Amino acid sequence: MKQMVIVLTGVMVFSGLALAAAYAGLSERIEENRIAALNASLAAIFDVDPGAENGTTFDKIDGSDPLMYRGQDVDGTILGYAVRLQAQGYGGAISMLVGIDADAQRIIGISFVEQVETPGLGGRITEEVFRSQFRGLDADRAIELVRNVPPDPDRNEVQAITGATITSIAIVGRINERLDAALRLIEGQ
Amino acid sequence: MKQRSITTEFAKGIVRDNPVFVQVLGMCPTLAVTTSVINGVGMGLATTFVLVFSALFASVLKGIVPNQVRIPVYAVVIATFVTIADLVLKAYFPPLSASLGPYVPLIVVNCIIMGRVEAFATRNRPGVSIIDALGMGAGFTLSLMVLGAIREILGSGSLFGIGLLGAGFTPLVVMILPPGAFLTLGILMAIFNALKAKSDPVLIRT
Repeated sequence: MKQMVIVLTGVMVFSGLALAAAYAGLSERIEENRIAALNASLAAIFDVDPGAENGTTFDKIDGSDPLMYRGQDVDGTILGYAVRLQAQGYGGAISMLVGIDADAQRIIGISFVEQVETPGLGGRITEEVFRSQFRGLDADRAIELVRNVPPDPDRNEVQAITGATITSIAIVGRINERLDAALRLIEGQ
Repeated sequence: MKQRSITTEFAKGIVRDNPVFVQVLGMCPTLAVTTSVINGVGMGLATTFVLVFSALFASVLKGIVPNQVRIPVYAVVIATFVTIADLVLKAYFPPLSASLGPYVPLIVVNCIIMGRVEAFATRNRPGVSIIDALGMGAGFTLSLMVLGAIREILGSGSLFGIGLLGAGFTPLVVMILPPGAFLTLGILMAIFNALKAKSDPVLIRT
């Protein structure tokens, strides 16, 4: 009995210390990676080289709902806004950024910060072929999803990925749901 | 205990007692993450790390851990090293960590680890337990790499993320979906057992 308590306590103390040490040593780097991933997604939206010394800054707009970032170039000209949205995909939560131009008229791009969709199917949302369809769409009307036919940009259409209808619907649906709130916020800026 | 050579202890994990094809342990990560070679390598090495340290601790502690709390003690030791492996992957290999997703924390419940701890490390000295763990880890990693390579080539037309088969090749999407994992595993297991039976017919009876 006594030995049982001693051994269990000893193992727990060792485990606690080992985990505390590992966390202390690695948490800073993990946080840096998280920020780097977000910055790379933001850079993709505003079409600038990630980490390049071109003075582009992305500022989080405090307290905005949905969460938004303002992209500014070195002269302070507003390049546009990136809206952070969460959608419920097929494999889990999809965290994405939707770029809107400075006039709140058009979508300038879309990129994915985190997603766990099936590789080769839903996972293809990260490919340029899918993402580029959103560029230039009207921000103030709903995006329509079409299947198996080429999308017509004049009708604000995006073609779903074959075999990944749930993922495609989740993304477009979430954008349609939340973009109005973002547009109102931008107009209020 | 009969004295066996280090090479035998190590090699048994790769062929005779291969954790995937012979012991059929650790099926969850085997089926789930082998959509690409690199995932297989990552999962294999992370599991090897956990195996080695859990075996070392189990072997060192075997004399002082009372039997009633044996499982809780090993569970805590295993969970500790799994969490460390998860943190290291997140810090140094973020893309790999993202594609392995929840399967890294799930190494905790991988039966290869508890299996080797219970069946080997608690009955043997630390040195030989580490060799056993390294062999099992190598066998697991190699098996996952073979599965990952086959599924990546057929399902994505690439290897290590580099396009192999050109634009004319239509990927067999089923190969990177769960059914593809079962098909590949089943066929490999059949081939593995056929080869083993040929080289060592006695084993069929056991």
